[in-house]
Amino acid sequence: MKISVVGTGYVGLVAGTCFADTGNEVTCVDIDEKKVNSLKKGNIPIYEPGLSDMVRRNVKGERLLFSTDIKSAVEESQIIFIAVGTPPDEDGSADLKHVLAVARSIGTHMNGFKVVVNKSTVPVGTAEKVEAEIKKHTDHKFAVVSNPEFLKEGAAIDDFLRPDRVVIGVDNEEAADIMRSLYRPFVLSGKPILLMDRRSAELTKYAANSLLATKISFINDIANLCDILGADVEMVRKGIGTDSRIGSSFIYPGTGYGGSCFPKDVQALIRTANDHDYSLEIIRAVEEVNKRQKTVLVDKILDYFDGNIEGKTFAMWGLAFKPKTDDMREAPAIDMINSLTAKGAKLRAHDPEALSEAHRIFGDRVGSELELLDKRYDALEGADALIVMTEWNAFREPDFYLIKESLKTKVIFDGRNLYDPGRLKKLDIDYFSIGRPNGNGHVKPRF
Amino acid sequence: MHICVIGTGYVGLVTGTCFSEFGNDVICVDIDEGKIADLNKGKIPIFEPGLDLLVAKNVKEGRLTFSTDLKNAVERSLVIFVAVGTPPNEDGSADLQHVEAVARQVAESMNGYKVIVNKSTVPVGTGNRVREIVEESRKDNHSFAVVSNPEFLREGSAVEDFMRPNRVVIGAESSESVAIMKELYSPLYLIETPIVITNLESAELIKYAANAFLATKISFINEVANFCDEIGANVHHVAKGMGLDKRIGSKFLHPGPGFGGSCFPKDTRALAGAGRERGFEFSIIDAVVRVNDRQRQTMIAKIRTTIGSLRGKTIGVLGLSFKPNTDDMREAPSVDIIKALLQDGATINAFDPVAAENARQIMPDINYCKDTYETADGADALVFITEWNQFRSLDLERIKSLMKQPVIVDLRNIYDPAKMADCGFKYASVGRPVSATVR
Ligand SMILES: NC(=O)c1ccc[n+]([C@@H]2O[C@H](COP(=O)([O-])OP(=O)(O)OC[C@H]3O[C@@H](n4cnc5c(N)ncnc54)[C@H](O)[C@@H]3O)[C@@H](O)[C@H]2O)c1
Ligand SMILES: NC(=O)c1ccc[n+]([C@@H]2O[C@H](COP(=O)([O-])OP(=O)(O)OC[C@H]3O[C@@H](n4cnc5c(N)ncnc54)[C@H](O)[C@@H]3O)[C@@H](O)[C@H]2O)c1
Repeated sequence: MKISVVGTGYVGLVAGTCFADTGNEVTCVDIDEKKVNSLKKGNIPIYEPGLSDMVRRNVKGERLLFSTDIKSAVEESQIIFIAVGTPPDEDGSADLKHVLAVARSIGTHMNGFKVVVNKSTVPVGTAEKVEAEIKKHTDHKFAVVSNPEFLKEGAAIDDFLRPDRVVIGVDNEEAADIMRSLYRPFVLSGKPILLMDRRSAELTKYAANSLLATKISFINDIANLCDILGADVEMVRKGIGTDSRIGSSFIYPGTGYGGSCFPKDVQALIRTANDHDYSLEIIRAVEEVNKRQKTVLVDKILDYFDGNIEGKTFAMWGLAFKPKTDDMREAPAIDMINSLTAKGAKLRAHDPEALSEAHRIFGDRVGSELELLDKRYDALEGADALIVMTEWNAFREPDFYLIKESLKTKVIFDGRNLYDPGRLKKLDIDYFSIGRPNGNGHVKPRF
Repeated sequence: MHICVIGTGYVGLVTGTCFSEFGNDVICVDIDEGKIADLNKGKIPIFEPGLDLLVAKNVKEGRLTFSTDLKNAVERSLVIFVAVGTPPNEDGSADLQHVEAVARQVAESMNGYKVIVNKSTVPVGTGNRVREIVEESRKDNHSFAVVSNPEFLREGSAVEDFMRPNRVVIGAESSESVAIMKELYSPLYLIETPIVITNLESAELIKYAANAFLATKISFINEVANFCDEIGANVHHVAKGMGLDKRIGSKFLHPGPGFGGSCFPKDTRALAGAGRERGFEFSIIDAVVRVNDRQRQTMIAKIRTTIGSLRGKTIGVLGLSFKPNTDDMREAPSVDIIKALLQDGATINAFDPVAAENARQIMPDINYCKDTYETADGADALVFITEWNQFRSLDLERIKSLMKQPVIVDLRNIYDPAKMADCGFKYASVGRPVSATVR
């Protein structure tokens, strides 16, 4: 099939490449000329395991093209995916200006029946809006489909090739058949393709992300309660995660969820519900807890240093919002850096992939209050304490003797519960994590 | 091993019976003499599939006895399970008077080393409290260990849940007591049941956290369902799309009138209360409880909008227990819903396959019918509140012909909206507009 994918970010690039890999002819379109040019040269703008090989293979096989020319892409394709960004508006609702702009171009350049597929995460009712926008500009027949994407950054290729399920919201038989055959190669193992109405499909994406965010905020609240009660959240996690109705994933305590999806999707869902005069109480609580969670480790640090960190230097391991990605959107590390520098501290941060993102985000602040370092142990030089923010594998088994030697105060603040409190106690390193009793007596989080 | 179980309610009776089935010698103790007398006559005071046969078998084989004599039971046992009720106080916290009373009596009856195991759902810190009580009250300074071993069985599948648990949680303070507990549960090793061993506090919290999370899933999907009603989406499609995500799982994503029963309402309130006592605001659980309260009101409103004025109407209610396969009426949504309908001036004809007896104690002024069709007879509307299997394939034509008018409010989404429309029913359910068609 001839497909174009408009918007060549995480989702667009992965979707386009994977569709090309199953034999379709795919044009990936973006307005960002620089991005398109570097893709043409074989430079992949994002870090995603396995992606660059796959892009190269399909470009070579002439199934994958990059272009800024939406007109010819639309004209030559039977299926057009919209995968542009839907960043949050100021009020938290999803900003649809890119989606609707693309819809307008599609309408303008339409030359026959097309299936227009929304892959971006969009609020309930967007399919109707896209349909109306296209209709303004064309008399050709078309169908708008909602096909939310569930891939995870860091495992995007695998998620796309082997999805738990494919959700397709569609109200047109022909489009349903086309979508089914497009996805057939990805569900040969028997995973379901769920056909439903478009509104349900749109809501499914938000509901799924919101429930995952709920799991995270739930366990974070349990962790804070563990700090107060002297229970161990790691045991509580095992005790509840072995319940098949709960499951062991997404109940790892930490410094709050971040990334380009959870915070934005949770807010957008709250907003959509508000627009319909409905208040989603649990999800609102989930968001509130997440905001609070970003301060829990900060409070532990401040408590440890008696409220004064002026002139102190902190080594920080991990900047990306999670491992195996360079994505720092809404990363808890950003909040941590801002909180500590606001109190007069300096940071020496290391991340295996996200340093250039950090350079972009912190700009001039790099070099003055924030140093970015290529090697994890370099970050420790002259530092008072170590803070762990992302659970990269490389941080799991560090040389604790070296850490102890390097740090002025022998203390680690671990936002990801990577280390065994008993082991660090033996090493005589003060250790604070999330929701686990430690040998140093409890530091009670302030709320 | 010789063990006794104090408190012979749902949990105590199932625990005692299953441990005797594993080959232990078990004495089940209760202060309720009537209950013990019944049990000695072979009468099981609760409805629980498979339990009566198992009790009979183990009594016959001489491993299971019932008694009101706590002292004798403690003297003859190495392990003493405490499974008495921990009902909510007015402020939602757990009432520990029974647990503490039993701890005192156990202490006074000790004649050697004992492992005292809390099976009741008790707030964090209760294990320590029990230890203190036993230390104060014991005779002759006999040594003992306190263990927390929360129970996860579900009413309606209690025996199966006990025999094939997802996991066993043991909170303990000494390796000796851990070894004894592992020995007791060793028959489960064959089915590779994970055993989570931790301290008392964590074990106590695990029970509350698990129930609170399951309650969260229920309230979450109920909110999504209400929202689906607003926007014209279908909550079953949404739930399916969510549930197929391995990280979410499909269980506990069924919309309905909200959770009830003896555990979720009480445990969620107790957990939020335990936090609040220590200055900690458990926002998510607070929201879960609020949503659950609101859900009953939403259901009442749904009934009102579907049926119109209720004054002088006869409403048939199908299902009263808080969930199917149990006769438990504690905090059942049916109670609040029926109360509101009565207040509106409706007459209620109700049927439940097993909970009618218990319901009669709480709601004496409604009519109890012998089956579904008697309930439908002459009714202005039927309301499904509990999804008993026998309600799933009713003779709809017959129901329609019996009813004064064909109106059904299905709070458990038992039927397909399109099919009901075809049958000529005015039909309302939870989070499923007729427009969001099923493919
Ligand atoms: N990143 C994820 O993990 C993920 C997962 C599932 C769903 N989603 C959703 O998918 C959508 C895209 O997310 P992303 O992370 O890929 O975003 P992104 O910001 O990485 O990429 C968006 C791309 O769209 C391009 N673009 C914007 N306007 C355009 C226009 N008018 N014409 C052509 N191109 C245009 C941008 O230049 C950019 O390259 C969002 O709605 C997001 O919520 C993201
Ligand atoms: N019912 C469930 O599904 C379930 C599941 C898991 C945990 N739990 C927990 O287990 C505990 C027991 O629940 P239940 O549903 O079995 O309660 P229940 O009310 O059915 O039974 C409690 C029994 O304890 C007896 N009792 C009270 N005080 C006593 C005393 N001083 N000495 C001897 N017996 C005494 C009562 O007479 C009654 O028979 C509660 O903490 C509950 O939260 C219940």
